[in-house]
Amino acid sequence: MGYFIDSLKAMATTFRQIFRKPATYEYPEVIRPRAERLRASFALPDDENGELACIACMACEKICPSQIIHIKSEGKRESPVTGKKRQYADTFVLDLTACIGCELCVQVCNSNAIYMVREQEVPGFEREDLVLNLERLRANAKSKTAAWAKGTVLQEMQELPKAEKKPAAEKKPAPEKKPAADATAAPPGDEKPAPEKKPVAEKKETPAPAAPADATPAAAAPAEAAPAAEAKAAAKPDAEAKPDGEAKPKEAEPAKAEGAKSDAAKEASA
Amino acid sequence: MNPATQSALIHGAVYGTIVCLAVLTSIAMGIWFERKFAGRMQSRIGPTYTGPVGLLQPVADVVKLLQKEDIIPRDADHALFNLAPPLAAIFSLAAAAVVPFSAKVISADLDVGVVYILGVGGLMVVPTFMAGWSSNNKFALLGGMRAIAQSVSYGVPLVLATMVPVVLAGSLSVSGIVDWQATHHWFAVWPILPGLPAFLLFYLAMLAESNRIPFDIPEAESELVAGITTEYTGAKFTLFYMAEYVHTMVGSAVAAALFFGGWDGPFAPGLHWMVLKTLLIFVSVYWVRWSLVRFRSDQLMDLCWKRLTPLGLGLVFLAAAFVQYWPGGAR
Amino acid sequence: MNQVITVTATRQSAVRGSVDPHLSIRHYDPDADLMLLHFGPQHPSTHGVFRMDLHLDGEIIVKATPYVGYLHRAVEKLCEKLSFVQQTPIVDKNDYVAPMTNEQALNMAFEKLLGVEVPRRARWMRTLFAELQRIASHLLALGTFCIDLGGALGGGSTAFIHTFRERELILDLFEEVTGARFHYNTHTIGGQRHDLPAGFAAKVNAALDIIEARIPEYEAMSLGNAIFQARTKGVGVLDGQLALELGITGPILRACGIDHDLRRDAPYSAYDELVPKVIVRQGGDTYARMRVRFDETAESIALCRKAIDGMPEGPINGYKPIRQPTMAKSAGGQVYVGIETPRGELGTFVIGGGDTPTSPYRLKIRPPSLHALSAIPYIMPGATVSDAVAILGSLDPIMGEVDR
Repeated sequence: MGYFIDSLKAMATTFRQIFRKPATYEYPEVIRPRAERLRASFALPDDENGELACIACMACEKICPSQIIHIKSEGKRESPVTGKKRQYADTFVLDLTACIGCELCVQVCNSNAIYMVREQEVPGFEREDLVLNLERLRANAKSKTAAWAKGTVLQEMQELPKAEKKPAAEKKPAPEKKPAADATAAPPGDEKPAPEKKPVAEKKETPAPAAPADATPAAAAPAEAAPAAEAKAAAKPDAEAKPDGEAKPKEAEPAKAEGAKSDAAKEASA
Repeated sequence: MNPATQSALIHGAVYGTIVCLAVLTSIAMGIWFERKFAGRMQSRIGPTYTGPVGLLQPVADVVKLLQKEDIIPRDADHALFNLAPPLAAIFSLAAAAVVPFSAKVISADLDVGVVYILGVGGLMVVPTFMAGWSSNNKFALLGGMRAIAQSVSYGVPLVLATMVPVVLAGSLSVSGIVDWQATHHWFAVWPILPGLPAFLLFYLAMLAESNRIPFDIPEAESELVAGITTEYTGAKFTLFYMAEYVHTMVGSAVAAALFFGGWDGPFAPGLHWMVLKTLLIFVSVYWVRWSLVRFRSDQLMDLCWKRLTPLGLGLVFLAAAFVQYWPGGAR
Repeated sequence: MNQVITVTATRQSAVRGSVDPHLSIRHYDPDADLMLLHFGPQHPSTHGVFRMDLHLDGEIIVKATPYVGYLHRAVEKLCEKLSFVQQTPIVDKNDYVAPMTNEQALNMAFEKLLGVEVPRRARWMRTLFAELQRIASHLLALGTFCIDLGGALGGGSTAFIHTFRERELILDLFEEVTGARFHYNTHTIGGQRHDLPAGFAAKVNAALDIIEARIPEYEAMSLGNAIFQARTKGVGVLDGQLALELGITGPILRACGIDHDLRRDAPYSAYDELVPKVIVRQGGDTYARMRVRFDETAESIALCRKAIDGMPEGPINGYKPIRQPTMAKSAGGQVYVGIETPRGELGTFVIGGGDTPTSPYRLKIRPPSLHALSAIPYIMPGATVSDAVAILGSLDPIMGEVDR
């Protein structure tokens, strides 16, 4: 009897589904709205001068885990538009058949010269259709909607924000050896007074993590150069474009930042 | 050959052909409906591309299946392997011969129609096991083994459930039973006590006989790959596939005739009523199918022998008691 | 491995007496006509490419021998060649039903090796993602288990598509954040690569509401159904002690009545603040395993709500953003990090140093599914072929993770 009643319950459940909207879409006719960040295929955009933005720095070729990007450049030459000397990617092959869609090539591109497009690639009829060469990539840039992620956007999102820069720089090397010395190195990177004040205030409030770092200022000297350079590099994209509105204002509150800091310390010790 | 036999033969041939074609056509529609129905139950849309709202999907299915290469495993028993699918199709269709689709549309109005249906239905196990044995495949063999065990078990409740209308109507002829219901009550309605449980028992036994979930143990595609049909391709697989649907359809028709008064109904011609009732039962089979998980082989035996068979015996006794003692129940 | 462990099984003992998994077929019954059934690797219910050799007496399994390795892709070796930052997208493909937790385990190991701290917001995000992933993974486990029981052309597939439909909601959420539905590559050394988009909390809550509302439906379609219970109760009983000896973790261990959950016992990420309620059940049978997963889904929903409501502000990355493959260098050392994935303890053991400081000298992944599969010789004998499918489904193995 239990079988019977439970079977009726299951049948009632399935019957109820009939009145729901189907969860599927008739794909080619109806295209489901997809996320803004959807990564599908690739595109190589032009820069503001109408030239290929890619300067063949090979960063994406190096980082690609499946080694599907192959770039060749015939060296620097004068730009026909601006007259300046720059490097061009003369061949750019991206083999989509072996792409794992990890977005690392976009992540590492400092000049936003490669990004992913949101529209699904039309399936090809030959393998060659999926091997994206320079023409196809540039065509994609013109015809397809770009995904949200760009190299600088991603890097800026992951970079510790200005207000947070100094304590974070401190925090990072704390377990190893690093001192407050780069707290002095960081400020020259940005001239704004406001962000500079905060780290100081914060330092006072949270002596615990800062103290061991302060104790060994001498060890800092050799390792200092790198973070400083990095801070400058990070500052540049910050200055030219601030699309990343989300991250900024949030970090201003020292109380929360402090919480983050002590928690991070807790995890490190765990 | 005397004239009576001759005319019966001609009548049988004409109506038999009509009924076979009707059954096959309605199965095509049934498959389409099942697909749509199952699709909606699963939050899908179901077939859409083949014809208007996917109506030609069964045709596409069959065409696709017929195009497939016909593979016979090297070590299979060729004769049995080739014989099994047509036998399955024939046996499943043969039962339709005695089902009255209206007062007139009946291929062969046998005096012992109920016995004939049970006999032909029980024969289905033969091609099933032939297929399982001859495929030379362990999964198919297991499927065949399960099919025999299941069929033997479910023959008993099926017979007992069928006995209830037979006892109530006092006739072994299917059309006789329908006639009795047309003049009195449908057995599923009155007498409700042996009638409705007997219908449910018949329904369960029919699911088991036609290998439908929750009793599709011989096929059990998640356990035995495809059970008996593992090695079959193309046209032969199509025949098995079709036989299963025909079996369900004919079983639904028999259930409609035995328990729901067959062609009896107001306002419309009898044929309409019969088809409507058959299709409703047919659809419910698929509703059950797409809602439940299946039993295990030994649980099926357990259910059958320990619960359904005693229930069936009790129902037959009740029916006999009703006929004997209920005022107006006696013929 | 010749040590005989007595399995206390109810149904098994009724059929065969206590089971010796390493029973030699010759000693079983010289007159018995046993059939060797190669169950897999190309079988619809082996959850990938997994093979069992089943010795059958009629339909009853006398001996079961599991074979793995059909999906071996040399992930660990590949990780020795790639640099630290390149490996996240590679390990995504291990447990392809819960990629988020793969990334998390790997990056937590690297963070420990390199001494990187993770900001609080990133840790909360990791927790949120891990719990969402747990819901998705358990839904899929329930759905595929129903397919195993009910067939691809039956009620099982209906339950499967229902759970799949709700799993899609979670994949949509991940797509919102990372842009990918499956192989996210969103964890990085020191935190996350993608911050949560605006309005994400509302979307999470909406999706969780839908899933929560549909839990009774799954119950009616699966665990609450009498046929389902008849198929699962008392089937494949695994003893708690044996499970411990085999190194089984996760829902399977908790279904044996052993209260073990790394999220609570060795808190990582934000689990020290968001303490999960650990679901433990007695019985150790197939039903208990599925019930633990089912209840964990509800618990994870509550945890996700807490995580998204209390999501702290702050940076999402405590380390340099990825700019070149060689950015992370390790001086050496060995670390082991174990986290609780939907399937159990996913351990990552890394040895740093070696010739190339930018990549691990050795990386070893301890997949929970592999250990779960090692129970097969012990719990299969005495069951029928139908049960074999149910037992395998309840172990919820992911072959990509088993074979790596």
